[in-house]
Amino acid sequence: MTALILMRNKIFWRTIFLSPPLIVFSIFVLIPLINSFYYSFTNWNGFNSEYDFVGLENYTRIASDNLFQNSIFNTVIWLISAILIPTILGLLLALLIDSQVRGSNFFKSIFYLPICLSAVVVGQIWIWIYQQEWGLLNIIINLFRENSFEYAWLSKPETSLYSVIIAWSWQQTALSMVIFLAGLTSIPKNLLEASQIEGANIFQRTFFIVIPLLIPATIIVVALSMINSLKGFDILYIMTQGGPFHSSDTLAMHMYNESFKKYRMGYGSTISVVLFFIAVTIIGIYFRQLKKLDELYD
Amino acid sequence: MLKIRKFIKIFLINIFLLSSAQIIWAGGEVTISHYFSGELGKANFMKAVKEFESSSGIKMKDSPVGHEDFKTDILVRAAGKNLPDVFSYWAGGRVQFIVDSNSLLPIDDMWERDGLDMVVAKSVANSATMYNGKRYLVPLNYHYSGMFYNKSVLSKAGINTMPSTWDEFLSLCAKLKSKGITPIALGSKNRWPAQFWFDYLILRTVGPDYRHNLMTGKAAYDDYAVKHAMSIWKDLVDKGYFTNNSNADTWTDASDKVARGKAAMTLMGTWITGYWNGMDLKPGVDYDFFPFPIMSSGIPNAVVGPVDGLVVSANAKNPSGAKKFLSFMMSNPEVQAQWTDGQGALSANTKVDPTKYNTVMQRALRTVAKAEVYAFNYDLATPPPVAEVGLSMFSEFMDNPANYISILSNAQKNASREFKN
Repeated sequence: MTALILMRNKIFWRTIFLSPPLIVFSIFVLIPLINSFYYSFTNWNGFNSEYDFVGLENYTRIASDNLFQNSIFNTVIWLISAILIPTILGLLLALLIDSQVRGSNFFKSIFYLPICLSAVVVGQIWIWIYQQEWGLLNIIINLFRENSFEYAWLSKPETSLYSVIIAWSWQQTALSMVIFLAGLTSIPKNLLEASQIEGANIFQRTFFIVIPLLIPATIIVVALSMINSLKGFDILYIMTQGGPFHSSDTLAMHMYNESFKKYRMGYGSTISVVLFFIAVTIIGIYFRQLKKLDELYD
Repeated sequence: MLKIRKFIKIFLINIFLLSSAQIIWAGGEVTISHYFSGELGKANFMKAVKEFESSSGIKMKDSPVGHEDFKTDILVRAAGKNLPDVFSYWAGGRVQFIVDSNSLLPIDDMWERDGLDMVVAKSVANSATMYNGKRYLVPLNYHYSGMFYNKSVLSKAGINTMPSTWDEFLSLCAKLKSKGITPIALGSKNRWPAQFWFDYLILRTVGPDYRHNLMTGKAAYDDYAVKHAMSIWKDLVDKGYFTNNSNADTWTDASDKVARGKAAMTLMGTWITGYWNGMDLKPGVDYDFFPFPIMSSGIPNAVVGPVDGLVVSANAKNPSGAKKFLSFMMSNPEVQAQWTDGQGALSANTKVDPTKYNTVMQRALRTVAKAEVYAFNYDLATPPPVAEVGLSMFSEFMDNPANYISILSNAQKNASREFKN
């Protein structure tokens, strides 16, 4: 009888079905997150089982840490570029491929390829492209120059961060392109045909019909680019490790350096807490705007 | 039906036997992690591991990590309370750090039982194995950093006598440069290769005592002494004696440049001999070395290098097996000779027959023996958080040497903060 009541109880079934993802989420996200908060108030070095509570000392230290300020600046550049470049390029490629130019299916596969590669492989490919003596980029530049050009793109503080951003965008553009292509299939063809009959040219059709109808896809692209860029660490680690001399340090890389290279796990946790709040704030603002947009569409 | 029952019965018995075997096997298993990757003598290390396994019956469960990644990997494992029973580590500041964190097991009992006082060279034993009054590390090998050069490049440039003073060194560089040869290769992409320049310039101009003060925070990076040493380094860069874009090359890239004759020499540790021997270069024929030149009289002759050691984790699951492995690797002269040959290192075991070294390594051994001080290189001589500051400073200097005064004052600001924390 009790079993029958339980079987009919919706809460029971919800609990049963939600338990596995909740357990996984707790183990891999929630508990580490709470741990980071906890350690951010300590001077734990990562090795020692003993540590002291230092109150807000780590948080006040952030204010005077010039490397933290440098990494915040780089993170902002990274975030803006990582949203703009893949979104704009992905949209352009999707529009080109969707216009059924010759060989569009072939190009679709080619442009999609980077998304199948891991960040490590992408990083290594671009390390070779940027290589100062025999890298593809310098070889191409040398075709147009008389004097030999041997610029070390990843080893110069002026270009290291931007070089990684380009490599990262190369992969993310593929993802954006696929989402935009999916968005393009949902645009009614008769709408475009009608506008064409009414005399709208290709630019008018693109700017006044296609792009506005692609807003839902754009929202997904921007959200994904934003989330991926905030957690972007692997490609930076492979390509520059935040160097040379911190010129490509982002918050995630700075957190890693403090925690694992300087053995300041407590301070590293503090940086991760700050990163968490930045991410939550940005994504919170974004989804609030999204809700407003939804209401507008409704 | 009977067949199915029989099958299930056999299946269950097998599972039981396998798990029992696993338990027995695990009792004789020692986990190990090390940074001896391909170019750093992995093959010879694994050969020694196999010999230990067959002679002791203890299974070594190995998880090697690349040299650079090891520095962080071991910390991740420590943070997760998942340190291997035995791991390789660099003697000096780094071992001191984990000893202070109570993460290592003292090995005084093993040291005494094996009579390692009679086996390990005194200079190495004193500087590398004792921390807070106890022994924690067996010095698997040690290295010496010197100026390694391509013999044919120098002889083609008409240079057959190697410099012993700074003036002679400068005229050698000038001569090479005038013949269109870049005198010095440096691969500071991973930062640490540049430290040997800083180490020697400080040691040769102001001596080991001042350097010790600098490494322990009792002297400052913006002192006149450091500025003077850096200005000498800057002069070398300004004269075009270093390869372009040093920060784009790794130490193997720089070694390759010397091996291929694109540069004449590189200031590097003796592990370069293992790397070059692996490329079929002949020691004493294709390459050789000379000690870093003397710059001022009256300053003790110091040599620089790291000591690679093996340590036992405080929470080792099999501490006795772990100590047996340490003992096997340290006490056995044959194993030591084979290992140091593969790594291009010198053995701290005094029983190793010096004639087993190649001619270059024999000279390196004599050079170290003659030196008054054996100093750990920069990132092992100062606490790890400060080492991070200094290593970044070196690569910043190589990018913009003209800015060395502000680079040093910035380094001092960061270093003093790290010393305080």
